[in-house]
Amino acid sequence: MAVEETDVARVRIDGIGKRYDSSKGSVQALEGVSFGVTAGEFVCIVGPSGCGKTTLFRIIAGLEPATAGTVYLNGDPVESPGPDLGLVFQEYHLFPWRTVAGNVGFALEKSGAADAERKQRVQELVNLVGLDGSEDSYPRDLSGGMKQRVALARALAAEPSLLLMDEPFGAVDAQTKKMLQDELLDIWTETGKTILFVTHDVEEAVKLADRVVVMDKEPGRVREIVDIDIDRPRQRSDDAFTDYYERLLDRIQH
Amino acid sequence: MALDVSEALDPADGSIFDVLSGSSLQRALRGAAGVAAFIGIWWLAALTQPTYILPTPLSVGETFYAEAASGEMAVALSQSIRHWLPGAVFGTTGGIAAGIALAWSPLLDDISAPAVRVLRPVPPLALIGFAIAWFGINHAGAAFIIAVGAFWINFYSTYGGVEGVSEDLLDVARSLGVQGNLELIRAVVVPASLPEITTGIRTGIGRCWMLVVASELFGVPGIGRRILRASNNLQVDVVISYILVLSLMFLLVDSAFRMLQRRVLAWR
Repeated sequence: MAVEETDVARVRIDGIGKRYDSSKGSVQALEGVSFGVTAGEFVCIVGPSGCGKTTLFRIIAGLEPATAGTVYLNGDPVESPGPDLGLVFQEYHLFPWRTVAGNVGFALEKSGAADAERKQRVQELVNLVGLDGSEDSYPRDLSGGMKQRVALARALAAEPSLLLMDEPFGAVDAQTKKMLQDELLDIWTETGKTILFVTHDVEEAVKLADRVVVMDKEPGRVREIVDIDIDRPRQRSDDAFTDYYERLLDRIQH
Repeated sequence: MALDVSEALDPADGSIFDVLSGSSLQRALRGAAGVAAFIGIWWLAALTQPTYILPTPLSVGETFYAEAASGEMAVALSQSIRHWLPGAVFGTTGGIAAGIALAWSPLLDDISAPAVRVLRPVPPLALIGFAIAWFGINHAGAAFIIAVGAFWINFYSTYGGVEGVSEDLLDVARSLGVQGNLELIRAVVVPASLPEITTGIRTGIGRCWMLVVASELFGVPGIGRRILRASNNLQVDVVISYILVLSLMFLLVDSAFRMLQRRVLAWR
């Protein structure tokens, strides 16, 4: 598919475990989670709530330490968040004091690029996510879908080698969600980014992913990794789509 | 009168147009009625009392005009500003800086928590001895008293604002390449807590005008000194005139700052 000829893992998640110890005892949130994502690949992580998806997201992002194992990005262990890893959250987390253009351009201000160059890059990204005309709006005036577009453009501005998304379309209505999914696929095709996408929505995973990592709960671990071998654009009504959908759902529920 | 002044001081609000429209007009009218009622009651009360107990609004107006015309008022005001301004500036910046530092660094917070708790309840007036010993009976000494008052207000509001900055926004900033405490403070912490910081500045500015009188208790010249001297001579009309000067200065500075605050917080 979109995999480049180098089969080097862009991301390697190697034996990740996470245990929370408290006075009431310890909880094993994740255990022995291992898989890889190759460059240019679109991988979704699905699983029931409580399977540690978000914990895994935070560990991969370097926001939280694992109690076992290592995450490698381009061969180097990830220990803290950095510009090589673009994060998109369900709750957007835009900077409310910055306009759309200000949010998108945030990472570029560190780059030391010339003003004109930076402005042009911001405009390109704003256009890429379809927000031209809203450059000067503040986040408070944007809908959920628009906010998530800004968050995506802001993450892309840092030119990360991996885009890591945690249920990014979990807070928008069904129609907007569909639109955002299509746009994300277009952007993925256009930019060739590697995407690791956490969701609880099986249909979303089948629609988007090259491969789906199905997780199990208590403790959170990888149950199965499924290649989704359907040409894009994928239709919910296709038999192949339904087959994958039911197979994944079955895996998650049993 | 006070109403006219506040309008004239607030040109960027487009106040003439705002005031003329619907509910703003109603509010302005009610305010004017309140002022008129206050002056009316004052006047009636003053008619039953000798001038050294309560002068009439008219005699206060005459005294105000006389003080202004003789240039006495301008002298007193410029003297007060010479310690009000440095006091407000140093107290505000110091309070904001300390608030950011202590709210951001658990280490600094732990180290200074006992000292903060001990010093916090000390009223600025109680520090007059230090003002005289360290700075002398001059503008610097008075500025010190004012700065202490501004410091705590700004310290606490900034501290609260910085504490409330979302951890998620900091994570996002880190993932976008912001590194190090200073960069994070500049790029996220300060803009995110600007609503609290500016509220602190505004409250502090008002407190500084209140402290002008206290800061002049030990002999520094200015409006406060003038009020104290007039009080000793039972010149109540002079006292009220200079209280009015303080109020008007507060109104002027507060309105100007509110305009600035609105512009800075346009994103809210």
